[in-house]
Amino acid sequence: MIDMAPVLMAEEKTFTVDGPLKSIVFELFGKEWVIAETVITQWIVMLVLAVLFFVLGRNLKLRPEGKRQVIAEWIVGFFTGYVDDSMGAKYRKRFAPYIGALFCFIILSCLMGLFGLKNPTSDVSVTASWAIITFVLVLYTKIKTGGVKGYLRSFIEPMPFMLPFNIIGDFANPIAQALRLFGNNVSGMVIGGLVYFALGSFAILVPAVLSLYFDLFSAVIQSYIFITLTMSYVAMADMSEE
Amino acid sequence: MGVTLAAGETLQLVNINPDTIIFTLINTLIIFLLYFFFLHKPVMKILDERKEKIANEMKAAEDAQAEAEATKAEYAAKLKESKEEAAQIVSAAVKRAGERENQILAEAQQEAAALKKKAEESIELEKKKAINEIKDQISDIVIMASEKVCEKEISKADNEALIDRFIAEVGKE
Repeated sequence: MIDMAPVLMAEEKTFTVDGPLKSIVFELFGKEWVIAETVITQWIVMLVLAVLFFVLGRNLKLRPEGKRQVIAEWIVGFFTGYVDDSMGAKYRKRFAPYIGALFCFIILSCLMGLFGLKNPTSDVSVTASWAIITFVLVLYTKIKTGGVKGYLRSFIEPMPFMLPFNIIGDFANPIAQALRLFGNNVSGMVIGGLVYFALGSFAILVPAVLSLYFDLFSAVIQSYIFITLTMSYVAMADMSEE
Repeated sequence: MGVTLAAGETLQLVNINPDTIIFTLINTLIIFLLYFFFLHKPVMKILDERKEKIANEMKAAEDAQAEAEATKAEYAAKLKESKEEAAQIVSAAVKRAGERENQILAEAQQEAAALKKKAEESIELEKKKAINEIKDQISDIVIMASEKVCEKEISKADNEALIDRFIAEVGKE
């Protein structure tokens, strides 16, 4: 068996999934807090998005002047239209902003990978946070539309023996959602990192093409799938009869 | 769980970090608020305003059109009315002219008849006058002729009786 260690060590580098930023550790309220690298990247994303939203959304006119307003209206119109189509118009007011914000957050997080930063969606804790939000939204929708009674009854429907499957289903959906986004992005990151590492000083073009695929193409698709799943889970949780 | 590397380290790929979850939730909330207040709300506001404005303008246009149609109908009615009035005026004028014509004709005929009658009367008068003159002349001539023929004076009374008889005879012829 050939030991790979000397080969890897010979490069005087170690393979790592960490990006160029370092995580910050500090103490507050008698607890040691860790600000992971992915959280720092999120702050960069937030900064970019804040500027972007502010520039796009200010000084709008009844008669659009310039492309800026057209783009702003297109973005908002796209998400409101998408929520209308997949959830119904009654969810537009409360869900369109969340879906729009989430999509922008995810897609820009993935784009951070293109700039060499660690993609926040390749951290399972990050995708798990969004899955927690989905779980809470589903729970809220079920209780709001069906009442506590209706919510509890939904576990033994259509048959009482479905109880364990229904309980699993409630947790499996958000977990699968989180792992899908995480898995796609972390695999891209690992493959990209390994190729980059293996090519060493010949790392031209190939990592760039891979990065374009994983950080751009795959990222757009996965972001889209993530918001679509969020919407369909919540829409399915709606127990009001219409 | 991790990927074991040659150096014996592990890559912490699937480790849940509660701190990261808390920070991510906070960040997501902030991004939601940023999106909502900077982009979603102003754009929806402007879209609603535009929708309302278009609806108002369309309604105004419809109102204006309805008004225009009403005015058009009104003008058409007025036009029809004035046409009828004009026709009435013309027909009245024609009728009056006809009456006047008849009147003028009647007057003219009357006048002509009067003139004719007057002329006839005058002719009759002249005729009578002429006959009387002729009578007188004839009697004078007869007297003269008788005087010449008879060379004998007869009484004036006899003479005149003779003449009258003669004239009567002449008149019968």
